[in-house]
Amino acid sequence: MLRMALIPVGLAAMLALASAPRPANADEPSCTAPRELIEDEPRLPKLAERLKRHLPVVVIVIGGASTAGSAPDNSYPYFLEIALRRRHPGVQINVFNRGIGREVAAQMEARFAKDVLPYQPTLVVWETGTVDAVRNEDVNDFVDTLTQGIDSVTAHNSEIMLMDMQYNPGTASVINFEPYLAALHQTAQLQDVYMFQRFDLMKYWSEAGVFNFIDVPREKRISLAREFYECLGERLAEAIDFAAR
Amino acid sequence: MAETPPRVPRDLRLDFFRGLSLIFIFIDHIPENALAYFTLRSVAFNDAAEVFIFISGYTAALVYGQSLAEKGALFATAQIYRRVWQLYVAHIFLFVIFTAEVSYAILVLQNPMYSDEMGVADFLQEPHLAIIRALTLSFQPTFLDILPLYIVLLASFPVVLILLERQRYLPLALSALGYALTLTHGWAFHTRPSHEVWFFNPLAWQFLFVIGATAGYARGSGRPSFPDPPWVARVAIAVSVVIAVINFSWTLHWIYDPFPPLFAKALWNYSIDKTNLAPLRLFSFLVLAIATVHVVRPDSPLLRARWAWFVIICGRQSLYVFCLGILLSVLGHFLLADISGGIATQIAVNLVGLATMIGFAALLEWFKGAARRPGGVPPASVPSTPSE
Repeated sequence: MLRMALIPVGLAAMLALASAPRPANADEPSCTAPRELIEDEPRLPKLAERLKRHLPVVVIVIGGASTAGSAPDNSYPYFLEIALRRRHPGVQINVFNRGIGREVAAQMEARFAKDVLPYQPTLVVWETGTVDAVRNEDVNDFVDTLTQGIDSVTAHNSEIMLMDMQYNPGTASVINFEPYLAALHQTAQLQDVYMFQRFDLMKYWSEAGVFNFIDVPREKRISLAREFYECLGERLAEAIDFAAR
Repeated sequence: MAETPPRVPRDLRLDFFRGLSLIFIFIDHIPENALAYFTLRSVAFNDAAEVFIFISGYTAALVYGQSLAEKGALFATAQIYRRVWQLYVAHIFLFVIFTAEVSYAILVLQNPMYSDEMGVADFLQEPHLAIIRALTLSFQPTFLDILPLYIVLLASFPVVLILLERQRYLPLALSALGYALTLTHGWAFHTRPSHEVWFFNPLAWQFLFVIGATAGYARGSGRPSFPDPPWVARVAIAVSVVIAVINFSWTLHWIYDPFPPLFAKALWNYSIDKTNLAPLRLFSFLVLAIATVHVVRPDSPLLRARWAWFVIICGRQSLYVFCLGILLSVLGHFLLADISGGIATQIAVNLVGLATMIGFAALLEWFKGAARRPGGVPPASVPSTPSE
């Protein structure tokens, strides 16, 4: 039964690979990142076990507008699925995108019961913090919400990974991300949760000249987003594999 | 026109540490600034905000307490409200700057990748509401959250002052009760109509302001404020050192991951709540304050050092330097983000900002001094501002 199911998945993965405009090569130098930006200490033993035993894996990515992307096939969770399937050819891997724009962490956490837990995900990736920073939400409440969300996922026998905000040099002077970044990172550390450092990664790419997030001509914006989501999906898959080694 | 000389000799430490806190606030407010690793928050659970609010309470009681004693409650209240008005105007000015910055940021944000971040410009959709919210202090985006606290604290200060005159520990007792109830009941100041909470909860922060005021009033009236046996100073110094070591380990951990953060699991959660002046932050500040007044005496050579004068004048012109500092940190970050965030640029932005603050303070000092001297600028054209 299981083996039967694997064949179309493998085919789909191969097709996806073949049809990608710029085949995402894991070693493509343009969007690699230093190890310390990808690797974190906490492990994902349940995911590792399922990957090893070739059991189906469900990944749910919940987050805001940057998770939703500009279209279902133009978002980092979409490219994450492609990357994970390529990295694990024998495993049935499905990534579901539960990104909705303009939500604070508490609104996302309230959606867990409906959008996340019923699917019995192996792994939940929670991207959050942007709208909380934009709206100056109480940092203490933000930490409580993160802790609650983490607890409810682990209580349902799933594993969780956190992802912080997007970096943009043009917004940092009007949005104060710092306390929320600190809250996310500290909470991840205290709760022993893997932290995917999107903010620092994008900052690195921006400073290394891999991506220019500021001066983007109007007509290039969609294609920039696509290239960036592809790179981000690839690096996230790398981080997930590292945690599930 | 001339201000009555204070009955008590001026304590230069007030100016010095307030100046230092303004400099730290400027540095801390530039995000991703390497110099921010070297400010107070790296060695204490509190940061410069506590120092600023405490000293503001202290000097408010010193200056307006004197007015109250000499010219009565009505005059003191009027004097306080002149200050509140200045703060209010400064706040509105900063709001205009912020609006200009957001308008500029929109150019960058019109990118499908940044639709959540675009929320920062939502208030521009309804400018009429935004302006009313700014005028009623209920619009508090980044960097516009400190002045509203200061305004509310000063606006309610006449009551504190009158109570201080009656019974000098009564405001402190009431204030402590208010702080305790705020922490236990989760009382908060909400902005309308969006129901966000104020970043600095005045119901909690008033306690620190009143602690400062109680000490300042006692000094102004020439009576010792709090009992002060010698062992208190020794304990305070020892505890401050322990706190500094713990906090510095967190800072090191932040820079260099493998370094272990000491007691992070036990303490971090109790120090994060700046909104409600977390008890650990308050404790850390009070201990540090006691240690500092014993280590740095009023006649300390530190205060007579040449460089100290630059800090002291910043503290003396605190309102102007404070507003200028906020403005400069916003501009500074804008430059860092737009040009390059390299360490050389960071140091340059910090230095230029500090030089501007100090230069401006020096200009104000000269101007006030010249206005008082005969033959200088006609005094009538210069507003006399108490050095509160």
